[in-house]
Amino acid sequence: MIALPTIPYNTLVVAAGVAAVGFAAGVVGSLGVLRKRALVGDAAAHATLVGVAVAFLMTGRRDLPVLLLGAFIAAVTSLGVLVLLRRVTRTRDDAATAIVLGVSFGLGITLVSGITARGIPGGAGLEQFLLGHTAALTAADAVLLAGVSAAAVLLLVIGFKEATLVAFDAAFAAASGLPVAMIDYALVTLVAVMVVVGLPAAGAVLVTALVVIPPVAARQWTDRVTTMLVLAGCFGLIAALVGVGLSAAVPRLSTGPVVVLVAASIFVVSFVGSPSRGWLARWRRQRAVARGWAEGRIIEAALHAMQASASGSFSRHSIESCLGATVATNRALGRAWRGLLLRHAIEPVPASEASALANDSSHGISLWRLTDKGKGEAIERARRLAVWGDVLAVASGDARAFLTIDLPPPEAVFDAARLHAIRATVAASRP
Amino acid sequence: MASLVSEFGAMHAWAIATAAVVSAGCALVGTLLVVRRMSLVGDAISHAVLPGIVVAVLAGGRPGGVLVLVGAVAAGLLTVWLTQLLSTQGGLAEDAGTGVVFTTLFALGVVIVTAAASRIDLDPTCVLYGVLELVPFDTVEIVSVNVPRAMLTATVVFLLLASAAWLTWKTQVLTAFDPDAARAVGVPVGFVTTGLMAATALATVASFEAVGAILVVAMLVVPASAAELLVHRLHHMAFVAIALAVAGAVIGYMAAWYFNTSAAGMMAVVLGFEYLVAAVLAPDDGILSRLARRMWLAWRVLCEDRLAAIWRAEEAAAIQPAHATASVVSATPNMTQVPPSRFSQRLALTWLAFSGRVAAVDGGWKLSAQGREEAGVIVRSHRLWEAWLGRHADIPLDHLHPPAEWVEHHLGAAVRNRIEAEVGQQGSDPHGRTIPPESEGKGEGEE
Repeated sequence: MIALPTIPYNTLVVAAGVAAVGFAAGVVGSLGVLRKRALVGDAAAHATLVGVAVAFLMTGRRDLPVLLLGAFIAAVTSLGVLVLLRRVTRTRDDAATAIVLGVSFGLGITLVSGITARGIPGGAGLEQFLLGHTAALTAADAVLLAGVSAAAVLLLVIGFKEATLVAFDAAFAAASGLPVAMIDYALVTLVAVMVVVGLPAAGAVLVTALVVIPPVAARQWTDRVTTMLVLAGCFGLIAALVGVGLSAAVPRLSTGPVVVLVAASIFVVSFVGSPSRGWLARWRRQRAVARGWAEGRIIEAALHAMQASASGSFSRHSIESCLGATVATNRALGRAWRGLLLRHAIEPVPASEASALANDSSHGISLWRLTDKGKGEAIERARRLAVWGDVLAVASGDARAFLTIDLPPPEAVFDAARLHAIRATVAASRP
Repeated sequence: MASLVSEFGAMHAWAIATAAVVSAGCALVGTLLVVRRMSLVGDAISHAVLPGIVVAVLAGGRPGGVLVLVGAVAAGLLTVWLTQLLSTQGGLAEDAGTGVVFTTLFALGVVIVTAAASRIDLDPTCVLYGVLELVPFDTVEIVSVNVPRAMLTATVVFLLLASAAWLTWKTQVLTAFDPDAARAVGVPVGFVTTGLMAATALATVASFEAVGAILVVAMLVVPASAAELLVHRLHHMAFVAIALAVAGAVIGYMAAWYFNTSAAGMMAVVLGFEYLVAAVLAPDDGILSRLARRMWLAWRVLCEDRLAAIWRAEEAAAIQPAHATASVVSATPNMTQVPPSRFSQRLALTWLAFSGRVAAVDGGWKLSAQGREEAGVIVRSHRLWEAWLGRHADIPLDHLHPPAEWVEHHLGAAVRNRIEAEVGQQGSDPHGRTIPPESEGKGEGEE
């Protein structure tokens, strides 16, 4: 009972530490992802197991700082081996990464299994580094993790301008005299640091998700680097906190998979729902464009039909034969038809007038007409098409640069004198 | 074999056999993954089959059964499909998309395994690195022999993969090395790629019990990469990769037994060792042989430069006897590289003197007949190249020398004569110096 107050304190400190790790991993990972080094951290992450096992064998203790120092040395060594393999062998990048990842993980498993099989005291818990386990963290451990995370973020802030430049345009950065290779190494080392401090929270196998998923999710929301960094940090923080909390609530559940799944959920929401790049938004934009085009074709056909008929009305059949598809079966046309009705661009001819207009052949067929608004739209569209047609005939290069399926008013693009000259040229060339 | 069985017991023999067959299947698939630069796709698939396996087991499939194989292949293809969806629909870079998809699917698998641990016979650590040691205990009886179930699955999968590879080999080669040409002759490249992904998933799931989901990447990529360094034909590569994989499995298992540790982990370590040996000692692409080739080239260039320098000095002496100093040996300022050290020059001259190409004369050097012939060839190559460049490339006169200084060591007699025929037998280079004629002797040592 007396010990009770200390437990929440410890839990709180651990939670804060893990949150700091999640935030820093998101921030550091953002630049890694932007530099297209998303999977480099994975090789380093798998190699950390070797460092943990060797550090344990050398000191015989399971102090987190010692194990993480070993993990960091192993991570950096594995990255060094990766660079070396690329330099001195013919093996290509992807295979080199896979080799370092697979063999170092095998070595780690060999060492950890050997330690476990020999029953070395304290060695049994090393397997927790595979999938993450925060329950055993002490407040001191958490402070260490938070401190390293803060230092990593600080380093990134100091070198932010250079790192961004290298990430977006390495060739330009090199031309402006930046040591691109050094900045690359520094960035990858920072990623390795985050992978190492992420070990307790996410485990060697999955920790790479901590530096990949939050940045990729953040990328969906913004086109600005600083915003992306902060957002990725927040996503990482949420994933780490929620993941640790959930796994603590369910016995035997490792932290890593839960953290990853929370981060993945954030990603899915971002991927689907983000207002600018999101899948939903893009789908709706695409549909709006398609509907606008279909509406234009309908009112165009309607105008033709109305002008052709003596009654100034049209049947749906007459415009369908003109469009080559039916409103009932073509979904884009159907949506466009409903849209036109909704904003009163077309309207049914009232029954009283219809019966007066009807002759034998059209009996029983409902008749439609364009409202004044719809007629205006149709005439404007016809005018734009005609002008753009002229522009295309004379100055097709200019036209291609501006003309989209939205069909902007030509006056918005060309000055009046130019447009007039173009139209005069076309008119002159017509017989 | 008999001694091996008595030494390790039948259990160990079965485990070794399983490991060998599993590794062979992975190495075969890995060969194609490596040459198609899809090693990391293999890594992603091997992680991502986990949820497929787990769901299939929960749905009533038995480990190694058809349902589990189907589930794994479906999960593997789902990974590829999702990654492509993220890159086409979301504009995500390929590696970032892969990173998102496989970690998520793997995490999903681990969570389901943990949640359903009481109902299924899988535990999280087995998922990570397999339990090869326990493979012999789960057997089925075939013709009165108790065969481990994993061995049976692995054999069937291996035969399946091997026959698929055998039947489609030409297509695979064409698709791997020239997908555009393959498309042009009507190969369904997308289908072939999907097939390779499915094969990767199959190889992975067959290895699952033995080596787990993560070490599979070592079985896939490491033997194939080592084989790629050792041989240069794709089918040779496949055979060598399989041989290396089997050796890795056998040695790895025995080492693990000796050191009392995880067999799967040790197999990966042995494979890594094999790769290291191949990287250092491979006949053509090994670090040592490449170093030797480079050093040999540097030595040849050094000697040839000395010979040519003396040749030029003698030429200058013949034209302007007042300035005759045939002792000038470093007379070719080389703008493209660091000039050789005095020591290496001395070494080269000593060798040239010893081999009878030059002779020492009061403080300087003079060419022997053989040396003059060889030096003439070098100078001829040099000046011909300058003449050719002067005619075809818009390079100022004073920039002709550096490229010629390099190329002079690499022109054969046939090329020299063609250049001569093309630039016309004007007999002089753009600097106005005489191009020596082709020697009639056999001084064609260089190529």
